[in-house]
Amino acid sequence: MVRTDDVFAALASPARREVLRLLLDGPRTAGDLASHFDMRRPSVSEHLRVLREAGLVSERRAGRERRYQLEPSPLMDVRDWLDPYERFWRDRLKSLRDVLEEM
Amino acid sequence: MSDGIYLDEFLPHSPAKVWRALTDSGLMARWLMPNDFKLEVGHRFTFQGVPMPAAGFGGTGHCEVLAFEPEKMLRLAWRAAPDDPSTLDSTLTFTLEPEGTGTRLFLAHDGFDSGDVYQAAARRIMGGGWAGIPGRISEVAAELPVQ
Repeated sequence: MVRTDDVFAALASPARREVLRLLLDGPRTAGDLASHFDMRRPSVSEHLRVLREAGLVSERRAGRERRYQLEPSPLMDVRDWLDPYERFWRDRLKSLRDVLEEM
Repeated sequence: MSDGIYLDEFLPHSPAKVWRALTDSGLMARWLMPNDFKLEVGHRFTFQGVPMPAAGFGGTGHCEVLAFEPEKMLRLAWRAAPDDPSTLDSTLTFTLEPEGTGTRLFLAHDGFDSGDVYQAAARRIMGGGWAGIPGRISEVAAELPVQ
């Protein structure tokens, strides 16, 4: 089971956030991801491991390569945690609409 | 992440009617929360709401009417209860603008305190150009097959 602490720890690194940003466009191989960073491939692998353990990315074999893919559900939880007030106001504005219809 | 929540919505009703929904205690109770609101600068009142643990909000908003201009603007202070984990001391502003046959309602909920652990943690995570990502996440999630 993924713990929220792991998700936040994973997101605390700018390099890992950059990895997630790259994966928003679609799955990529570790080599492809590494080419975007000024770091050695083992470091990229380490970041990918942390992201995988946090449930933020999944790994799939594609022939001889491993492809990494974004898993959005932990991020959705984070968003709900970050913006409870926005959700609150969106719901309230919906209710306001209903009340105006009944007035 | 910006310092506040800014939403706007077109409502197919006159500004006078929207204003009534925003400032009549009974009508407010129906769309917002039960309250003892009075349209009077300096009036202090509470909203009895639903607790939001993620925001450290116990459920009772401690509010004050800060300013208003009939059918145009209403500004409230919105504070957490003294014993809530959150030290929320925010400002809520409704602005009404006539638009076509209706009203555009702007909602600004700002003044979040960066010293509040609930807000500070959010900022830390959102640093480094992280803003905007949650919206993209929703788009990506919407396109994913149900597993």
